[in-house]
Amino acid sequence: MAPVTPPATATLPLGRLKVVDLSWVVAGPSIGRVLADYGATVVRVESPRRVDTARHMGPFVGAKRTVESGALYGNVNAGKLGLSLDLSLEEGRAVVRDLVRWGDVLIEAFAPGMMKRWGLDYPALRELRPDLVMLSTSLAGGTGPYAAFAGYGGAGAAMSGVMHLAGYPDRAPKGPFGPYTDFVGPRFALFTLLAALDHRRRTGEGCHLDCAQAEAGIQFLGQAVADQAINGRVAERCGNRDPDMAPHGVYPCRPGPDCDTPWVAIAIRTDAEWQRFAALLGGEAADPKYANRGARLAAADRLDEWVAAWTAARSGAAIEAELQAAGIAAHRASTSADMQADPQLLHRHHYVELSHPQFGRTVVENTRFALSATPARVERAAPVYGQDNNHILSGLLGYNQSRIDTLQASGALRTEA
Amino acid sequence: MGFLSPYRVIDLTDERGLLAGKMFGDLGADVIHIEPPGGTSARHEGPFVESGPAKGRSLYWEAYGCGRRGVTCDIETPEGRDLLLQLCRNADFLFESFAPGKGARLGVDWPALHAVNPQLVHVSITAFGSDGPKAGWAQSDLALWAAGGALFPNTKEPDRAPFRLSLPQSWLHAAADAAGAALIAHFARLMTGEGQHVDISAQQSVAQATLGRVLSAPVGDPGFERWSAVTPAGQQRADRSGSGSASARSKWALKDGYAEMHLSMGAAAGKFTNALMAWLHEKGAIDDDTAKLDWITLADRIDEGVLTFADLEPVYEKIATFLATITKAEFMDAALARRLPYSPINSIADLAASPQLAARGFWNTLDSSVGPLRLPGAFALTGLPAFVPAGERRPAPRPGQHNREVYAALAGLDETALAAFAAKGVI
Repeated sequence: MAPVTPPATATLPLGRLKVVDLSWVVAGPSIGRVLADYGATVVRVESPRRVDTARHMGPFVGAKRTVESGALYGNVNAGKLGLSLDLSLEEGRAVVRDLVRWGDVLIEAFAPGMMKRWGLDYPALRELRPDLVMLSTSLAGGTGPYAAFAGYGGAGAAMSGVMHLAGYPDRAPKGPFGPYTDFVGPRFALFTLLAALDHRRRTGEGCHLDCAQAEAGIQFLGQAVADQAINGRVAERCGNRDPDMAPHGVYPCRPGPDCDTPWVAIAIRTDAEWQRFAALLGGEAADPKYANRGARLAAADRLDEWVAAWTAARSGAAIEAELQAAGIAAHRASTSADMQADPQLLHRHHYVELSHPQFGRTVVENTRFALSATPARVERAAPVYGQDNNHILSGLLGYNQSRIDTLQASGALRTEA
Repeated sequence: MGFLSPYRVIDLTDERGLLAGKMFGDLGADVIHIEPPGGTSARHEGPFVESGPAKGRSLYWEAYGCGRRGVTCDIETPEGRDLLLQLCRNADFLFESFAPGKGARLGVDWPALHAVNPQLVHVSITAFGSDGPKAGWAQSDLALWAAGGALFPNTKEPDRAPFRLSLPQSWLHAAADAAGAALIAHFARLMTGEGQHVDISAQQSVAQATLGRVLSAPVGDPGFERWSAVTPAGQQRADRSGSGSASARSKWALKDGYAEMHLSMGAAAGKFTNALMAWLHEKGAIDDDTAKLDWITLADRIDEGVLTFADLEPVYEKIATFLATITKAEFMDAALARRLPYSPINSIADLAASPQLAARGFWNTLDSSVGPLRLPGAFALTGLPAFVPAGERRPAPRPGQHNREVYAALAGLDETALAAFAAKGVI
C-alpha cells in the first residue's frame, strides 16, 4: 500500500486519526463530524442507491430540495471526505476491508445484523486490523431480545422514556422535537470512543463499542429513574410547569423586526425575582399573597394568565431586555433567524459559512466546544456523492488506475441511483 | 479499572455539570468532587426521598453525583483556594460550572490553574459562554432550551405554547459535551504536553437538539422551520421523512398507553407502512383494497392532488380501532417480528420492566446513602473492562465523606492539619 500523505490537519488533536464512517442519518454521522472538526481524516461511505434519510430532510440550501442540498446532512457531515460505494456488491465490501486496514476507527449505524450479513462484523474486521476500534450505534443495541429492532429516532425517543415526558398532562404525549435520542446518543458514543482510543494508545488493544441510543436517552432521565426506584413515583409530563418555580412557562409575544419568534420563555426562580416581576406586572400580581413560592405554585394557572397578558403586548426583545435587567431568566424561543442575529452566538461564531461545489456557499454550525489552544477547524462542506472517490482510492488506499477502473465498471462506485 | 483509570478529575460543578464527572467516573477515572462545607446546591435539586430515614435527600444528587469521591472545601477563603490548587497539582482535568467571572474573582480561573499545573485541562460549563454579551444573563433550563432553538420547533399542540421536556435537559447536554471536549483537549495534551481551557456554552449544546432547524434562515430556507404537518389552511401534508417528527399523526392510543408510529410515505420509508398494512390485513383490521395502497408512491399522489388525506381518514380510523385492542408489549412484539420502526411510548415504569434493558445488564444497583438505588449503567457494551464493574461503582458521597483520605494522599495533610482546617470552617 502506498504511503499516505500526512494531512494538513496533523497539528490538530486528532490529526493522526483515520476514521471510516459507514453511518447515516444523524446519530452516527454526528460523531464523525466532531472527529473531523479536530483534525481526523473521516471517510464517509455511502451509496446513492440507498439515499441517506438525512438527505431527504430539510432545511435545504436556497430552499431547493435535492439530495445534495439538505442542511441537516451538510451539518453532520462537514469536513468529511466522500466515497460513493455500494456495500451490497462484493466489490464495494472489498473496498471497506481496505479502508479498515487503513483506518483506526470504524463507525456504523446499520440495523443490527447487517454488518454480519456482509461479513463486516467486528470479529471479521479485527482479523484485518487487530487494534480496530469499531463503534456501532443503534436504537436498542446490538444484543438482547430487541437486537433486531431498527427504527428512526422517534422510536428511540419513545423507547427511552423521553417521549412520555414531553407534552401536556391532559393530552397524549407528543414528545420533544425531533428524534431526541439522536442528539443524546452521540455525546455518550463520542466520549466512549475517545476513551477507547486512549486505552488503545496505552495498551494496543482495540474493541467493539455497542451503543444504544435508547439507553443514552435514559442517562438523561437519571433523576426520574431514581425517583421511581426509591419513591415508586412514575414521572409524568407537565407541559412547561416546574415543580419548584412559578411562573414558569412559554408565553406569547409580539414578533417584529428585532424578534422573529412569537414566544418567550420565562422562569421565576426565587421569591425575590417574583417581587421584581410583580412590580412590572402590577395589578393583582402585586398582591403580597403571592410573595411565597408555594402560593404561586398553587395559583400557577392564574399567574400564567397575567404573565401572558403582559407579554402579549410586547416584543420578545423588549421582554428580554426588561426582565434580564431585573435579573430574571427570560429568553425568546429563538427561531433560526433569531439565532442568526443573536449577539452571543455571533460572538461565539456559532455559524460558519463554507464554500460548496454545487451551491457556491452553504452554512453549518460550528463546533460546540471552544478549545483555547487547539480550536476546531471547520473548513469544508459535506461531500457530494463521490466527491472524493479518487483521492480516497488512489491517495489513501493506493489503488492504481486500472484497479479503480475495474471498480468503476463493477458499478460499486456509481454516484447516481 | 476502566478506560480512564489513569486519570484524576477535580469536579467543582453543581447541578449544572455533575454529569461530566459522572461520565469520567463511570469509565474509571478518580473523580474528586469538591463542594462547600454547607453542601452543594445540587443537594437541593428535586426529586427528593419522600419517606424513611433519608427523607428529604436529593435524588438528583444521587443520580448524577455518583461515581466519585467527595470532599468539602470553602474555596471562597484563601486557605480553601490554596487547598484546591494543591489538589489541582495532582489532577488531569478540572470541571467547573461557575457563573462567568467567579473563577477570576476567587483566583481559580484558567491563568491561575495553568500556573500551578500546566498540564491541567480546565473545562468551564456556563449558560451562554464565559464571555460575550449574554454571559451575565439570568438562566434556567427553560430559558436555555428557548435560547438554543430547541423550544420553538416543538409546536405539536397548535392551540398551546411550544413545550420543553418535563425533566430539565439543557445542562445535561452541556455537561455531556464538556466530557467529550475534555477528552479532545486530552489528545491535544498528548501532542503538546500542555493543558488548555475548554469553554462550553449550554445554549450551543442545546442547538444540537433541533435537527438542523437552526440552519433554516442561514442557508436561505427560512420557511422550512415553520413547516408543519398541517398547512395554514388546516390541510394535512405529506411528511416524507421516516421519523415523522413534524407530523401530528404519529401518536396512537393502545390498550394500555400509546405508541409512536408514523405512517411514513415516499421513497425513503414508505415500505415500512406497507409492512404495517400487511400485518393489519392479516389481523383482519383492514380490507383488501386498503392493503393494496402503496405508501411509497402515495406521497406523490397526494402532492399531485390525486389523493387527499381525507381519503385516508377511514384507513386511519380502522388502524386506530385495531390498535386500541393491543397492549404495548404486543405492539413491541409485532414491531420486532415485522421489522417495523415503531415503538410503544414507554414510561419510567416500563423501562424498569424492560426485557431488553435487563438482558443488556443496563441497570446498576448502588449501595447509596438513601438505600439500594437502581440507576442507568454503562453507556456502551464492549468486550473490554471499559467501565467500573457494576458492584464497584461509587454511590454519591456524603458531604466531606472522603476528606481524610483525599487530603492526606493529595495534599499531605495530617490529622492536626485537617483539624485546623476544619476548625476554621474551610473543610
